[in-house]
Amino acid sequence: MYICLFGELDEHTAPNARQTIDACILQGGFGNVVLDLSNLSFMDSTGIGVLLGRYKKIKKLGLTVCIASPSQQTDKLLKLSGIYQVMPKIS
Amino acid sequence: MNNKDDKKVFNQNKMTISVQSKTVNEALVRSSVAAFCAELDPTVDQINEIKTALTEAVNNSIVHGYDGDIKGFVHIEATINGDTVHIRVQDQGKGIADVEAAIKPFYTTKPDQERSGMGFTVMEAFMDNLKVVSNDRGTVVEMSKRIKA
Repeated sequence: MYICLFGELDEHTAPNARQTIDACILQGGFGNVVLDLSNLSFMDSTGIGVLLGRYKKIKKLGLTVCIASPSQQTDKLLKLSGIYQVMPKIS
Repeated sequence: MNNKDDKKVFNQNKMTISVQSKTVNEALVRSSVAAFCAELDPTVDQINEIKTALTEAVNNSIVHGYDGDIKGFVHIEATINGDTVHIRVQDQGKGIADVEAAIKPFYTTKPDQERSGMGFTVMEAFMDNLKVVSNDRGTVVEMSKRIKA
């Protein structure tokens, strides 16, 4: 399953992002997950919490999560957090 | 006025903005400060780093300083001095009990929530300098970044 994030992911937008992605996860019937960040124009450390939270939920289903196409700023933030150790980046 | 004085005046500028402690204002603050920094002709990476670090500081004030109480205000001051941007974020919230611990990566006072505990780590990584002063009357975060040509 591809999950594409759009716009800005910060404290204000995080609740909606969590709710929307969790609704997809609840539906079930999908395989491994790719979080496509190519259309995410801004993300702060709140976004790291959002991604890790979704990772934990998906991992419980026995599935893997990868991250695709982060911007340079988001990539730097994700590297800093060490998140790629559990959610590898794919091209 | 000679050329030297012209340059001195051109390279000094200041803006202040105060916003209510509401998360919707984070985007307004970072966009405003980013626009203010444009006169230094920063790269896209540099401006994104400033926006991210600033958002972390403002978010700390809103989420931790005021603990979600929207009656508080966050005061942001940005100063251009030569080729360096100085940013000061101040709140009158409850303060940070242990600044030394709060600056460490993955430290969070809200482990029940999906908090990464990376706020100050991001500020340190994306800016050149970071100073945090806090007591029970509020917190002041000062950070700066040189915009290299």
